[in-house]
Amino acid sequence: MGRTRQFDEDTVVRAAVELFATRAYDGISVDDLVTHLGVHRNSLYKTFGSKKGLYLVALRRHADDHVRPLAEALGSAADLEQAARLITAAPLDLLLVSAVERAPYDPEVAEVVARAFGDLDRALAGLLPDALASAFTAALLGVRLRARATGPSTEDLAGALAHRLGE
Amino acid sequence: MARVTVQDHDLVVTIEGLDKLWALKSSLTIPLRNVRGATVDPGIVKQSKGIRAPGTHLPGVITAGTFHQEGERIFWDVRDAAKAVVIELADERYARLVVEVDDPRVTVALIESATRGS
Repeated sequence: MGRTRQFDEDTVVRAAVELFATRAYDGISVDDLVTHLGVHRNSLYKTFGSKKGLYLVALRRHADDHVRPLAEALGSAADLEQAARLITAAPLDLLLVSAVERAPYDPEVAEVVARAFGDLDRALAGLLPDALASAFTAALLGVRLRARATGPSTEDLAGALAHRLGE
Repeated sequence: MARVTVQDHDLVVTIEGLDKLWALKSSLTIPLRNVRGATVDPGIVKQSKGIRAPGTHLPGVITAGTFHQEGERIFWDVRDAAKAVVIELADERYARLVVEVDDPRVTVALIESATRGS
């Protein structure tokens, strides 16, 4: 692909992370991508191969930009309450939507999602034993899902869980 | 209308019925390693298709044959926009195929599972 691209791939992928986090994969048409990402249809196909190709690039980008920094911050969290605050505050919408909506049907998406969850679990190794670390991140991601549905009052739930586990 | 199947290591696109005449082609065989992806894309029919050569373009009725756009060669066989699937290729005569299939989601799933990991 020697030809110069007529758009900034980085900007397009970051916009795709935002767009794919808003609704179901099948609910986003190529027309939506062309309109919201500001990229021509032909360039989109030429660069990413398909909608699915762009989705995977966006999901991996989300893991690099948002999940990895969160895992690093968790690794140096002082206690579970701080860890809970970090997880409830991080931008994880695409990971959550992917886990619920695409991962069950798409092995490549499932792989990225599983790796992201694993990174978060391992980051808590200093604070909790393995199985409890997974349960803790799973519960907090559940808190995030609830917050997406019913509003952002998740502080209490996450704090209560961290407090109880930290006793 | 086109029928898309996987035979061994190839994707085979068979043009059905009279569309063979309009598209001037009856089938295309593409090694799976040259298939980059597939997308359900009803909206593509509304965009400019470039210059037709050779083939048939009756706007609102049928787009069939070879089109040239932005230095790319694109194969079209679409009557019903709602059933259009875009198949992106690499290292082939055509940069992409835009074909009408019976069940776009099933066709995309077939192509994705056949090309996974390649």
